[in-house]
Amino acid sequence: MADMKRVILSLLLLAGWNEAALSSPPPPPQRIVSLAPALTETLFSIGLGDRIAGVTNDCDRPKEARRKPKIGGMANPSLEAIVSLKPDMVVMTNDGNPKVISDRLARLGIKTYIFKSRRLAEIPDGIREMGQALGAGPASEHLAGNIETALHDIALLPDGNNASEAVLGGGRKTLFVLWTSPLIVAGPGTIVDDAMKIAGLSNIASDAGVAYPRFSVETVIERQPDLILIGKMSDDMKTASKGFLASVNGLKAVKKGRICFMGDALYRPGPRIPEGMKELIRCGKMP
Amino acid sequence: MTRAKGSTFLLAVVLFIASLVIIIASIASGPRLLNPFRMDRETSQMLLAIRLPRTAIALLMGGALGASGAILQGIFRNPLVDPYILGISSGASLFASFGLMFGLALFSLSVPILAFIGAIVTGAVVVILGRGWKGLQPERLLLAGVGIGFFLSAVLMLVMTTSGDDGLKRAILWMSGDLSMVDWDLFPAGLFFVLIGFGLGLSRRHGLNALTLGDEIAYSLGFDPTRERLFLFVAASLMTAAAVSVGGVVGFVGLVVPHIVRRHVGSDASVVLPLSVVAGGTMLCLADAIARTVAAPLELPAGVIVALIGSPYFIFLLGKGKISD
Repeated sequence: MADMKRVILSLLLLAGWNEAALSSPPPPPQRIVSLAPALTETLFSIGLGDRIAGVTNDCDRPKEARRKPKIGGMANPSLEAIVSLKPDMVVMTNDGNPKVISDRLARLGIKTYIFKSRRLAEIPDGIREMGQALGAGPASEHLAGNIETALHDIALLPDGNNASEAVLGGGRKTLFVLWTSPLIVAGPGTIVDDAMKIAGLSNIASDAGVAYPRFSVETVIERQPDLILIGKMSDDMKTASKGFLASVNGLKAVKKGRICFMGDALYRPGPRIPEGMKELIRCGKMP
Repeated sequence: MTRAKGSTFLLAVVLFIASLVIIIASIASGPRLLNPFRMDRETSQMLLAIRLPRTAIALLMGGALGASGAILQGIFRNPLVDPYILGISSGASLFASFGLMFGLALFSLSVPILAFIGAIVTGAVVVILGRGWKGLQPERLLLAGVGIGFFLSAVLMLVMTTSGDDGLKRAILWMSGDLSMVDWDLFPAGLFFVLIGFGLGLSRRHGLNALTLGDEIAYSLGFDPTRERLFLFVAASLMTAAAVSVGGVVGFVGLVVPHIVRRHVGSDASVVLPLSVVAGGTMLCLADAIARTVAAPLELPAGVIVALIGSPYFIFLLGKGKISD
């Protein structure tokens, strides 16, 4: 009988313990590995910088990120390097990190969080969701709110009309170059394309059918862009684009010097999106 | 045992022991040097779940490519033939890239399965096109393979140019022989097909020896060249398809390994085939260890390392006049 009591008691204790374990949320991850530069920037921005255990070789912002242990490239990280950092969460994106990595990490028993926002308008909610998952709800809410406000301010005049279109005199024909040889440009469905729409610029490659198409120089000449934006995939983009600009030197954009070299803020769907938007507007207003 | 046979046996033993040492050294090397006498939880996880499957797949792939290179160079009587010249890798790459780029990779094994199907289908088409009125002729087979290979590569480039999907970078890595994400689950099926191919090849070793002497002599020795060629081609295709499907396209192993082996032990297929497995496996295993170590934590594709190390050595052999058919 005493034995029975003990069994029931221990069962009750076990049940109670289980309930307690279920009702309290799991502790937020303390050792986070980030597999994308934009996510690293976001993590620092929402105050999780101290908990970052490792980043990719491309994570260069903010400055502190450069001192974090490295785990390799975005498409080819070293699984061994990740495991050796003993992460309790790996944050990655479905825009640049291949799916095979999350599959492999899952099988190694490492938790992953996948950032799924790929369009400009989805970024604030993506940041909110990631912040919740990492136990930084309020800070991520704050950052997401800031980005939303910035996008809203840029897109709308007080009377609700599209600001930039009014400011820029209606949809300046624009080409956004990512690389010049071969010519790779920002096509439809990309954050850059979304940003151009908000800024009132008309992307001449919006019908390309592919996100980052290899574009024909002849089509560029035929479509007569008023403005050429050149993204910063590497520091020597000015040198790299000389040949391309020479081949399209008959264009109004080139003759009038409406060539704008942009930073990398729009490539990184994170806290610097408003900065990238402002840069885009500034370039869009070039005389 | 005759004296010549005795020295070949001794050489084979030496090669085998050297391979074993290289394999053990490569298992230990990586972003972190593994010490088998001091293992913590992470180190043992790294060893069991990452490094051992990589090593096993590298051995399987390199071995399969080495043996299929030896078979193909024999049946074509051409020292420049490698397992990929017959379009098999282009077929595998095209199918696998469809999987990688268009999100067909629904479950983890779908890309290897697609690659295997692509390789086998291409091999079958090459055989059908390679059958002339005189049976399976080496020249016809080779031309059919090269033609199909170029066509499939062109289709692949077309697909890659019009695709902007994120799978692209992974597809490029796959095509340069990247073993960084391989897992144990690929191993059993790969091993199964490699063993079937190797068994088939080894069982036709006398036919292979006869074919290298020329079709007339093979006939007079009692071998039907068309039949032998078909069996051996199937054996080589199975091994190549399995190799490509487990780890992508690793070039050069199938070309250079048979040369190195023949240089040391002569051209008897009964010795060359098994030793090509050992040498090919060891070569790729070493290349993968270098690939994950030299620029750590950046992973380089093992296939690139093989070619970077193998090509100068190959040219060195060529310069010394050590390469012959």
